[in-house]
Amino acid sequence: MSKYEINELYGSDSEDRHLKTLLTDLGERTLYDAASQCNRCGYCETVCPTYMLTGRETISARGRNQFVRLLLEGKAKNTGNAAEALNTCLLCGACTSACYAKVPTADIALEGRRSITGYGNSFFSKLAVETLLNAPHIFSIWLKFVYILKYLGLARLAGWLGLYDFLGIPALADAQKAVGKIPLRFASEILKKDPALSARGKTGAAWAYFAPCGPNYIFPEVALATARVLTKHLGEGVFIENSCCGLLANNYGRLEDAREFAKKNILRYEELKASLGDFAVIGDCSSCVAFMKTYEQLFTGDEAWRPRAAAFAKAVKDILEIIPPEKVTSSEKAQSAGIITYHDSCRACHGQGIRYEPRSVLKKLAGQQWRELPESDWCCGGAGAYAFTQSAMSNAILKRKLKNIASTQAKTVVVGATSCLIQINGGLKAAYPTATAIHYSVFLDKFGERIG
Amino acid sequence: MFKLDKLGPIRQSLEAIVGPENVRTDEAEILMYSYDAGMARARPEVVLRFTAADQVAPVIKILHAAAIPFVPRLAGTNLSGGTIALKGGAILNLSALKKIHRIDTENRVAVVEPGVVNLELQNALAPFGFFYAPDPASQKVSTIGGNIGENAGGPQCLKYGVTSDNVEKLEVVTPEGEVKTWSYRDPGPDLMSFMIGSEGTLGIVTRAWLKIIKKPEYLQTSAAAFSSLDNAMLAVTKIISSGIVPRALEAMDSVSLEAAGGNSKLSLPNGTEALLIIELDGNDRTRLKETAERIETICAQNSSTYFKTAGTEEERETLWAIRKGAYPAMARLAPNVLVEDGVVPRPKLPEALKETREILSSYKLTASLLFHAGDGNLHPNIIFDGRDMQEVKRVKKAGYEILKSCIRLGGTISGEHGIGVEKRVAMAWLYDPKTLYFFKSLKTAFDPEGLSNPDKILPISVDNRHQVPVAPADLSAGAKTILDELRLRAKSGTKTLVLGSGTKIKASAHKVRPLRLKNLNKLLDLDRENLTVKAEAGIKITELKRQLREQGFALAVPGLEGSLGGTIAAKTFPEIRSLLLGLDIAMADGTALVLGGKTVKNVAGYDAVKLFCGSLGAYGIILSATLKILAADSAGDPRLEPSGEKKALAFEPRDYHYRLKKVLDPENLLNPWIYGGTG
Repeated sequence: MSKYEINELYGSDSEDRHLKTLLTDLGERTLYDAASQCNRCGYCETVCPTYMLTGRETISARGRNQFVRLLLEGKAKNTGNAAEALNTCLLCGACTSACYAKVPTADIALEGRRSITGYGNSFFSKLAVETLLNAPHIFSIWLKFVYILKYLGLARLAGWLGLYDFLGIPALADAQKAVGKIPLRFASEILKKDPALSARGKTGAAWAYFAPCGPNYIFPEVALATARVLTKHLGEGVFIENSCCGLLANNYGRLEDAREFAKKNILRYEELKASLGDFAVIGDCSSCVAFMKTYEQLFTGDEAWRPRAAAFAKAVKDILEIIPPEKVTSSEKAQSAGIITYHDSCRACHGQGIRYEPRSVLKKLAGQQWRELPESDWCCGGAGAYAFTQSAMSNAILKRKLKNIASTQAKTVVVGATSCLIQINGGLKAAYPTATAIHYSVFLDKFGERIG
Repeated sequence: MFKLDKLGPIRQSLEAIVGPENVRTDEAEILMYSYDAGMARARPEVVLRFTAADQVAPVIKILHAAAIPFVPRLAGTNLSGGTIALKGGAILNLSALKKIHRIDTENRVAVVEPGVVNLELQNALAPFGFFYAPDPASQKVSTIGGNIGENAGGPQCLKYGVTSDNVEKLEVVTPEGEVKTWSYRDPGPDLMSFMIGSEGTLGIVTRAWLKIIKKPEYLQTSAAAFSSLDNAMLAVTKIISSGIVPRALEAMDSVSLEAAGGNSKLSLPNGTEALLIIELDGNDRTRLKETAERIETICAQNSSTYFKTAGTEEERETLWAIRKGAYPAMARLAPNVLVEDGVVPRPKLPEALKETREILSSYKLTASLLFHAGDGNLHPNIIFDGRDMQEVKRVKKAGYEILKSCIRLGGTISGEHGIGVEKRVAMAWLYDPKTLYFFKSLKTAFDPEGLSNPDKILPISVDNRHQVPVAPADLSAGAKTILDELRLRAKSGTKTLVLGSGTKIKASAHKVRPLRLKNLNKLLDLDRENLTVKAEAGIKITELKRQLREQGFALAVPGLEGSLGGTIAAKTFPEIRSLLLGLDIAMADGTALVLGGKTVKNVAGYDAVKLFCGSLGAYGIILSATLKILAADSAGDPRLEPSGEKKALAFEPRDYHYRLKKVLDPENLLNPWIYGGTG
């Protein structure tokens, strides 16, 4: 524990809604120690999208850290005052990449958010998270209802009914604007029925596909492509039939729910491991994958679950990092993709340090058509529900991304996270319709061949 | 502190200029502008964010009329508490002013707004093959406006000079809200340079014309290891005094090396106590190679245990990664790092390092020594936990001891980080009360109400109990005679015509009593190792150059007619600004003022030396000047014969010139016709 006297940000009754300690690059730290590791050098400021667009310390990486620290020290009195600073954080983690001491600003900001009264307590988000947790099939039905309304041209009715809020995943509200096709069969429903991906009768597998909510509910074609790519490059594998990873619950104030999601997935993993032995759990949305890699942090106060979470986290891999560049060759068809560029999804590059692998693969496939995207590791502004909750800021961030994309004259922008896919495609459609963003798996599925 | 009701009446007019969303008084914004990268804290009462440069002047006018203090602020990365609103009032957030107006490679100038980040400018210049010389470690985030405010340096300034050597022109909003555009080439006192390093206490820069330089074609980077710091420092002094001008000459001690993993990355010999990184640049590859070989020889003569020149770009990057990795590595060891910033004349480095180490160990502190050896600028990086008050006290005390040791060794208390609030107290150790009063009067001339970044740089109350005894100005007999004479004349109100060698003003032209400096013509001090010369003002430039040549040195000034003092006072060669390190001045009342010194870098207090460049003898009489010189080995250096004398332009004093005159020579005793007296 910290040797300094500090303010309690929350009462013991809400301990469950907070992290016990943070697992930082410098070791396990209390929130106060983690925030105090920031010596205010300011080197994070020029990579923080919200600071760069506004020049305001209050909505900068350093500012967010300081705010939480000041709250802990009692120098800032009211958590509510921190709302703007903390809620505008994209959680992109660019600041941590730039930081010498790797201060985990996103985690610190989240802990701060969880201290804001009422955060994550809205009736609808509570209900939606709980439904997703306990009765995913009911969640699916609601979602399909929304999709049908949209399909019938009644999207506004859905909005009016407050259904998107009801689902607690406001990004879906934007999805209905940005996504052209709407799935009426979710990926998990299809994959579950694929005998090749069933664990039944298998004694080993190289991989298990984890279907994050984005590919599952919004972009089933991505999930199906990932399964094909994995089969092609890594051999036989299974569909893990997972639950939601819990990231949304984690980011929107429902930490105890996030733990429940995590436990479900850990249990499922352990169950499969008993029959299949070691395998990699591979997901195709970098936000979810990065979060699952930090499952251990959810259980720092829980000695029973902590090692199990750590073991699970160790098995988790991102589709972006799993395909070896030397094993891939281009098919002729890649010509049709025009000029190709790659956007680093924040939770891939900052969250997991994945930059080299997808680039090497894509460069190889694209050949002469490859262009490096300027500021490729700048957030696109999607950031889960951010595009909805902070729409003005999100649009400004997107604008900069689109300008950079335009400068490459790309026809194809490859990304690795659902949120980027929605956000960038939404922007491109309006500003630069000759280009589209596609998921890494879809690109690989179309244009990548395996060597040997 | 002003009360909210002071803001109330003007709030609407402020909002009309910057927009209501940019006038913030909410608790969050106030809190977030109550800190910077230093340790000081104070709450402003309002934060104003600007979205266009032309909003600044009208806002300042309003604040001035309402007597509300203000502090300009950009990235807030300064290490001396310079952007803390000590008296409350307004923070002027200029970060959004980040337009690069123009890059003009033909005239070698970039025109930018203050919020442009240093590295952004470098990136914008790179495609044209140009760069802007100042490269502070913080360049990724620190801005041009902040760099100007602090007179930032960086490794490259060894060859290319600090910020004040690389600015051509500034647009400034004065503390009263007027817009001025000043260039160091303007006739009359160099107000532009005086603004640089003034930490926002004299006005606010809203546009800067910066000198840009063509990138040299080749770089050659070497590393040399030593088993003693002393030997490394001797090698540094020898390298510089042999006439080699590296682009950068950086040093690391064993703690820094260990932290950055340098020992294993370079497989340095056991017992390595110091590593030098020496980088050369130029367009002649063979010459660079030869120079690197000479450096190797010098290092070997000083018992280096390892020497390696990077053969590939990759090897070069490894060397810099070790140098640049040292601070980050320290920053991981503890929550806080205090980076001290003392400067000593280069030959004093071994002593300064020894004393610094003793101080650090006596206070039981962990620190790495990391420094711009070529400039004599020391950066001990002391690690601590800012929450541990006892430790903070020890760190502060040790920091002060280190500064005192620098002062004792003829150095100064800040080379590039500024004074701000954290080193204010040390100003009283460096300067006597008379000089501090002089600085204060300069500040008052620019900001009579004391609203612009109040209470910075100068001590609030002078406490000279801790004054470090500095040797009294050792004035020559000739200089003393001048002072005596001036005192007599001041008593009787006799006006004086200052006469150098008589090339610029003829004695008969004015009906005032001449004072001849002709006999003040001695070379006072030639520091071969530090590469500085101090000479009396009356010495002719041609004679000074001749004497230096005889001794194997050179002065990068064209063969001008006239005296040294006259050349400075008439600004016939404006570029002399980059060579000028210090001046001894006789004021109109017969008191002496010692400004600047022998260190290559100095940001302690106002750069008053520059005010006497172009002052035409009307602010004070230059008795002697200290200048940077080159070793004659630098033959062929194009800087040795820079383009010739410019005709001094006709000078018409304007408002700020008059204000300064009133402070420096209130009776208008010196060259009185310039400021309207007939004499």
